[in-house]
Amino acid sequence: MIFYRALASLIKGLRITFYYLTHPSTVVTQQYPENRATLKLPERLRAQLVMNHDASGLHKCTACHICEQACPNASIHVNERANPALSKTELDTFIWRLDSCTFCNLCVMVCPFQCLKMNPTFESSVYDQKLLVYNLAKYAGATSTALMKVEDPEARKKLIEPRSPYDGPTALNGFKLAGIPTEKSP
Amino acid sequence: MNSSNWEVLSLSEKLGRAFSVSSPDYFWISISFVAVLAGVTLFMSLTAMILVYAERKLAAHFQCRLGPMRVGWHGILQSVADALKLLLKEDIVPDSSDKMIHALAPFICVMATLLALIALPLSPLLTVADMDIGVLYLSAVSGFGVIGILLGGWSSNNKWSLIGAMRAGAQIISYELSVTLSILVVVMLSGSLKLSQIIQSQEQGWWIWRAPIVGMISFIIFVIASTAEINRTPFDLAEGESELTGGFHTEYSGMRFAFFFLAEYINLFIVSAVGATLFLGGWMPFHFGTFAGFNSLMDFIPGGLWFSLKTAFIIFLIMWFRWTFPRLRIDQLMKFEWKFLMPIGFINLLLAAIMILTEFYFFPLPGGHP
Repeated sequence: MIFYRALASLIKGLRITFYYLTHPSTVVTQQYPENRATLKLPERLRAQLVMNHDASGLHKCTACHICEQACPNASIHVNERANPALSKTELDTFIWRLDSCTFCNLCVMVCPFQCLKMNPTFESSVYDQKLLVYNLAKYAGATSTALMKVEDPEARKKLIEPRSPYDGPTALNGFKLAGIPTEKSP
Repeated sequence: MNSSNWEVLSLSEKLGRAFSVSSPDYFWISISFVAVLAGVTLFMSLTAMILVYAERKLAAHFQCRLGPMRVGWHGILQSVADALKLLLKEDIVPDSSDKMIHALAPFICVMATLLALIALPLSPLLTVADMDIGVLYLSAVSGFGVIGILLGGWSSNNKWSLIGAMRAGAQIISYELSVTLSILVVVMLSGSLKLSQIIQSQEQGWWIWRAPIVGMISFIIFVIASTAEINRTPFDLAEGESELTGGFHTEYSGMRFAFFFLAEYINLFIVSAVGATLFLGGWMPFHFGTFAGFNSLMDFIPGGLWFSLKTAFIIFLIMWFRWTFPRLRIDQLMKFEWKFLMPIGFINLLLAAIMILTEFYFFPLPGGHP
């Protein structure tokens, strides 16, 4: 009896592998650099942390530091600045270190305002490790809810200050790299 | 039926004729010697390269992958690149190894396969030597390769190598029995040990179907036991990566490793060629009894092509098994041979003997058994 069961299972295995051999559609290999244009990445792939910015380019981060505390290996540094006009502190730069990030998704899960999300864009290799330290906020300033209370768009623009990916005290750590614009730290 | 229309002229006979004339042309004889040497080298390396490429492609598609795709069209030059890499790699010899035996072992392995290649009847016109004891010679010489494996494992001075080599030795010696028992059935049916005569005896049909059931059983036993003899999955305990980190060739690198690798794949070819010769009629086209019309239609396909196709079929079978079946444990392996395969082989041999005596098989030769 055992013999027949063993034989049946062997034949079943042979049938399955033969099916795979004769049906090239079952191949799962991605020919990566060639199919770059048509590459379909799963939504759940966590390859890059980004900050959600709405249509008018504003985020909801209040610089509450919860993500910074949740981060298991200190890959996130939130730098805030005082805003005398609104008598509040607001986000200046949001520093995320890709080189030490484990992509555990904890920062995304703890954020009370759903500011953060993980993107499946995985081509993040660079020639210098310093370039893996990013500033995620596109501007230094208050949250979108606070800014939207200001009616005039021109006045709103005066309240915020643009920031680039390599801004802030931690990003590039004071080094200068050719071709990378660094703004003076506040 | 006379078998004179399947004339066999082996290369050794041709050479003998060239020497036997009153004034031999030594220039042409030496030229042809060099040509044969170059041909054998080319044949061996080309066969191994093609088999490695085929194995990698088949393995990939068995596992929903693509395999080598980068070097050349669909990776067709991958084997060339790998061979070049292996030739140029540093040859690392462990400090406490037995240096001479360590260096010698891979060559013994390759030697055994080279010797076996001599007897293979590739086509009616391409056989190096057609010996009267061809089958005996083949089974003797193919068992010779285990000495290389044992020496390699012993001289490496590494416990994994030693265990792997000892396993290989135990396995090859055990499964040799089953291979021989299954070959004996065909030898009895055709009444000859000479490979060309075995092929000629299959002029009215291959032994795998002409001897009902018995031929099939002995073919299955042959395929299983030869897979074990050439140390391939599901019987690859001699190298078993997960337990022995490579077995007998753990301490080999570069050229010497390449020689073990070469011997492994040439062995695969030899085993398949022997299986094709004994059970599937070698270069004999597919004939059915004395149906002259059908038979002459089949004769349009040349013998060399028939041989290649049959060999390729058995190679495909063995590769298919490799990428489907899980590896056996060493005690299961021994149990399978001694308690299962060998008794079946003996019973099969007995049945074959009874069958031959009663002439209970398709198209027995008129006038009884040769």
